[in-house]
This record gives sequence, structure tokens and C-alpha cells, in this order.
Amino acid sequence: MTATPAGLLDRLVPPSPPSPRAERGRDWLAAHGLPTTRDEAWRYTPVDDIVGALEAAAPAPASTSQVSRSVVDALAGDHGGPRLVFVNGVFEPRASDAGGAVDGLWLGNRDGMRARPPSPRAAEDQPADGFQALNWAAGRDVAAVLVEPGAQLDQPVHVVHIAAPGEDTTANHPRTVVLAGPGSRVHLIESYVGLPGPSVTNASTRIVAGAGSTVTHHRVQDEAAAAIHVGRTAIDQGARSTLRATSIMTGGHIARSALAIGFDGTDACADIDGLYLPLGHQHHDNVVTVDHRASHCASTQRFTGIVDDHGRGSFSGHVLVRHGTTGTDAHQSNRNLVLAPTAQADTRPWLEILADDVRCTHGATVGRLDDDALFYLRSRGIPLEQGRAMLVAGFAAEIIDAITPATLRDRVAAAFAAGRGG
Amino acid sequence: MLHIERLTASVGDKTILDGLDLDIAAGEIHAVMGPNGAGKSTLSNVLAGRDGYTTTGTVTFEGGDLLALTPEERAAKGLFLAFQHPVEIPGVGNMYFLHTALNAIRLVRGQPEIGAVDFLALAKEHMARLDMDPAFLSRSVNEGFSGGEKKRNEILQLSLLEPRLAILDETDSGLDIDALRVVGEGVERLRHPERSMLIITHHPRLLEFVRPDRVHVLQAGRIVRTGDHHLARELEAVGYGAAAAR
Ligand SMILES: Nc1ncnc2c1ncn2[C@@H]1O[C@H](COP(=O)(O)OP(=O)(O)OP(=O)(O)O)[C@@H](O)[C@H]1O
Ligand SMILES: [Mg+2]
Repeated sequence: MTATPAGLLDRLVPPSPPSPRAERGRDWLAAHGLPTTRDEAWRYTPVDDIVGALEAAAPAPASTSQVSRSVVDALAGDHGGPRLVFVNGVFEPRASDAGGAVDGLWLGNRDGMRARPPSPRAAEDQPADGFQALNWAAGRDVAAVLVEPGAQLDQPVHVVHIAAPGEDTTANHPRTVVLAGPGSRVHLIESYVGLPGPSVTNASTRIVAGAGSTVTHHRVQDEAAAAIHVGRTAIDQGARSTLRATSIMTGGHIARSALAIGFDGTDACADIDGLYLPLGHQHHDNVVTVDHRASHCASTQRFTGIVDDHGRGSFSGHVLVRHGTTGTDAHQSNRNLVLAPTAQADTRPWLEILADDVRCTHGATVGRLDDDALFYLRSRGIPLEQGRAMLVAGFAAEIIDAITPATLRDRVAAAFAAGRGG
Repeated sequence: MLHIERLTASVGDKTILDGLDLDIAAGEIHAVMGPNGAGKSTLSNVLAGRDGYTTTGTVTFEGGDLLALTPEERAAKGLFLAFQHPVEIPGVGNMYFLHTALNAIRLVRGQPEIGAVDFLALAKEHMARLDMDPAFLSRSVNEGFSGGEKKRNEILQLSLLEPRLAILDETDSGLDIDALRVVGEGVERLRHPERSMLIITHHPRLLEFVRPDRVHVLQAGRIVRTGDHHLARELEAVGYGAAAAR
């Protein structure tokens, strides 16, 4: 990373209402700049293309006339619970349904947040990288989901971020904050979708799972074909909290999803699933970090990649077990199905174990379709192409089948089948 | 029904089937026995259409050139292979698989599709006869099935798909005594004047439930001896070497 030249900084960061966070982001960016492929965590990502698109991008128009409720339904679905819709990073109340009063839940955007007493747990002092710094500096709004201690929410909370580009490439910087109070239960769906056209979405999500809370987080990136997506989700887990997270990537041209999970208290667990499907010339990168900084926590990563055509997919999974902790249970698996000789899958496990009492497993596979299985299906009368489609769907099934609610699962399955021409 | 003439099959420069002749008429049940490595599974694979083999000779099935067809075309035409080693397919539900296979074959045969509800009833009926728990429908194809459970799942497919020619490649091995009877009786029930079977086995037990019209000894890639059902017992008594020499 190198410092960002002042002229470029001015172009990337339009004048916005100054907040301490925006200022910190701007300062950080001025000092450290955006990442390059020389940075370990960005080695698989065509970061020059992303920076180039950002430099050329106009700030996204806040005009949202194209985005009606039915457009949101079509792009991201209706999953029964309250829905917050942001267009180009800005709250769109007309397409949202904040759900009236749900006991123990507060939903809103920056305006509403300003009216609330600041929550100390929401503070992050430094951005993790230049893109997050840029998100802070240039972001214009925030989606906030605040769950009171002990609240048990039955219906999923749906946050939809829509990229609505104009003629030229537009850049937007959506930010989402979720605070799940101690002992609460919440199911969050984050959809990143878009209207056709070139866009750069630089998203940052922060989730704090309080002690004893149960958090489900499904993140779906299904943006338009010309979209560029850089996303970072940081989840901090309190003692005895339970996280079920899924990251699905089907859309975009270049998309990268980083997931950073940290255990701040003992006896917490995280199940982290991922599915990515680069086709055509798509590029999908996953960067997962699980920081076992507290004892007796369990994490399981299951990431599945299906790469076809000229698609490129990558998974980098970092498990860090800190010195002085005990009783860590950490598992990681990355399975890749490569369907064309021109497609590429990269997998990079990185286990950094600095403690003794650890149970840790990891496995990575990169393989082709199973010829024996295909022959078996064909020998039963199932035509070649149908047999292939069944096996490809079967490869993704363990991830898709675990998605809740059924409306989202069906949607992901449909996006999967559509992408696969099925 | 099936007419095989001077069939050879090789992989690379290894010749596995070496001039094999075999004729099976409609309604007949033939058994093929032979030592390990003789080429029995290779014969099944070549008949079912697995690629990777170079073949010469002719195979005529129902009057047409079998070797010119894709595996799925052979299945639609009525050929069925119960695999010696059924494949596990994680993520593909057994019920979905069976239903898809049946409808694919019915489509080619010009029969109407069977809907999910009717199919479930049909599958359960067949499973009951095979003493199979319907729970196997909701699992992935063969995944985690025991050896015997996989074999039963093969017979379930056989009975659902109603082929004209069924090849059973060691379907009896790995079955316990009771399962052997269930499978043997299941196969016997499928005997039909229009259906032929080729049963590959190492054990005469199965042939007590399904009495074959002919028993062949396959050795080093060709049929070296043919007899009636008494041959199976003789083989067990004297071994392949001595039996082939007679
Ligand atoms: N793909 C292959 N490449 C090389 N050799 C092969 C291949 N397939 C089969 N063979 C060889 O051909 C021979 C016949 O194999 P096959 O599986 O047909 O035997 P089999 O009669 O079914 O034996 P078993 O009773 O043990 O099942 C064996 O020696 C086997 O190793
Ligand atoms: Mg064999």
C-alpha cells in the first residue's frame, strides 16, 4: 500500500458531511492508499481493474426513480420480514418496509441513528484496508439493525443494497451495521443486487453478536453482469454466541467478498458457508479470516466453488489461533469443481496455530465432474447434459440446502440454475 | 434379443475381451461365472456404453447396433446394468434421481411423464417388495449406503425401469443371507417372456432363486464353456481351471 495522491483522493472522496468516521477513513486512505495485488490478501483479485474503474467512476446519483417495490421484489425477493432498501448506498424509504414496530428491533438509516444515543459497541477505530477506509470516507448513509438484549426475532431482516448506475460507471459505498444484543436472536439477509450497467460497489458490513446471541447472516451478491463488487463483512462474536453465515456469489463481473470473524468471548461458535460460481469471464474471490482470540470456540468453514468457461474463483481461508488460548476447534474445507479447461480455481488455506490445545482440520479439493457418476446417471437413461446439470447442482447442494428461509433458498437455487443454463 | 459376435475390448494395449460370442434370446436368463479379472465387468461396461474401451466385433441388441448408441440411448432401448460397484453421488437425492431416470426413459418411449405424487407411491410399492425402508428415497444416491443397501438400490432401479435386458454384475456379493433371498426373489419376479437377464456371479446361491437357462464360463476374455444350471454346482466343486478343461 502506498499513500493516495491528493488529486485522486479528491476524486474518490467527494465532499460529504464530515463525521469522525469519514474523517478517519479519509486520513487512513491518504496515508496508506488502496491495496495492490502485491498485498497478500489481494493476490487473486484484479485490484488494478477495480481501482481503474473507481477512478473513472462518477459518484452514484441518488435519484432512485427506477427503483420501485416490485423492482426490489424481482431483484432481491421478499422474505417475509422487514426490508430496508438502499439505492446507490442511500436509504430509499419508498421501497422499504421497516415493518412497523417489531418488539426489540430498531431499523433505520443515518438520520435515525443520529437521533439515538451512540452505541459504544459499534465503534471500529481503524479500517482494515483501503477499500474500507474509502467506504467510510465516501459512504453517504448506513443501514442499521439494532436488536435489543433478549429479543427473539422470528422473521428475517432483509437489507437490500441496489447499484443503480447511470450512463457511466458509478461508485457507491454501502455500509451496514448490525448489533445483536446479548441473548437475542436475529436472522439477517443482505442482498447486493443491481440494475444493468457498470457500477462499483464497495460495501462494508459490521455485525456485533452479543454474548449468548444467535445470529444468522446470509449474504447474497447477485449484481448485474458489468458490476464490480468489493465487500467486507466483519463479525465480532461475544461469549456463547452462535453464528451461521453464508456468502453466495453469483453475479457481477469482478466480485470479492471478505469475511472476518473474531471471537471475543469463550464458548462461541461459527458455521461459515460459501458458494461461488464464476462463469463467462466472471471473477469471484473469497477471503475468510477466523480469529480465535478467545478460548473454547468452534469454527467451521465450508466453501464450494464451481468455475466454468473463463471464470476464475478463489478461496483464501485464514484460521488464526492466538497464543494463550485453549480448546479451539477449527475446521475448513474448500471444494472446487472445474468444468472447463479455461476455468481456474485457486485455493489457499492458511492455518496459523499459535496455541497447543487445538483441534484443527482443513481440506481443499479441485476436481472435474466425476465421470463414473455421470456414466451411472446416463446408464439409467438420463441424457448427458441433464446428467451434468444434476451433478453440478449436487455439488452445490450442501450449501444451498442449508439456506433459510425457503424463499431465499429457492431464489439462490434459481439463480444457480439460470447461471448454469438450467 | 442380444447377439454378441467376436467382441474384443481393450484399454491401451491390454486386451480384456478377446473374441467373445454370446447369444441371449428373449425371456432367457443366462449366468456368467468366471475368475477374478476374467473380463466380466468389462463385458457389462462395454454393453452399457462406458467409454474408454476400444472394441471390435459386433453387438446387436433388439435388431440394432448396440455399440453405436450412447449410454442413455441404450437405457431407453431397454438395457439395464446393475453395477458391481454402484456410484455414490452426494447432493443428488435418490428419489429425484429415480424419478428423473424413469421419466427420461418414458419420454423416449413416448409414454407420459409420471408426476411426483404418483412416482412416490410407485417407488414405495417397489421398495416394500424389496423390503427397503422408504427413508432411502430421501438420502443422496448411494451415499453412505452399506454394500448390501447399494445392491438393493440397484434392484429397486431395475424393477422401476422395467428393462428388456438386465445385466446384474455381482449383485449378490455383499448381501447377507436374508437379503440374498429378497434380491433373488425380486429378480425371479422380474422374469418375463419379453425380458432377458445376464447374471454375473461367483456364487451358485443366487442361481437357486433364479434358475438360469444357460451358464457360461468366462475366462481370459472369452466364453470357454457353456452348460445348463448344473454347471454352476460343478464349477463350485472343481474350480474354473478343471471345469474349463472339460
Ligand atoms: N481401465 C482399465 N485399464 C487397464 N486394465 C483394466 C481396465 N479395466 C479393467 N482392466 C483389467 O481387465 C481385467 C478384467 O477386469 P474386469 O473388471 O472386467 O474383471 P472381472 O471379471 O469383473 O473381475 P471380478 O470378478 O474381480 O469382478 C482385469 O485384469 C483388470 O485389471
Ligand atoms: Mg467384476
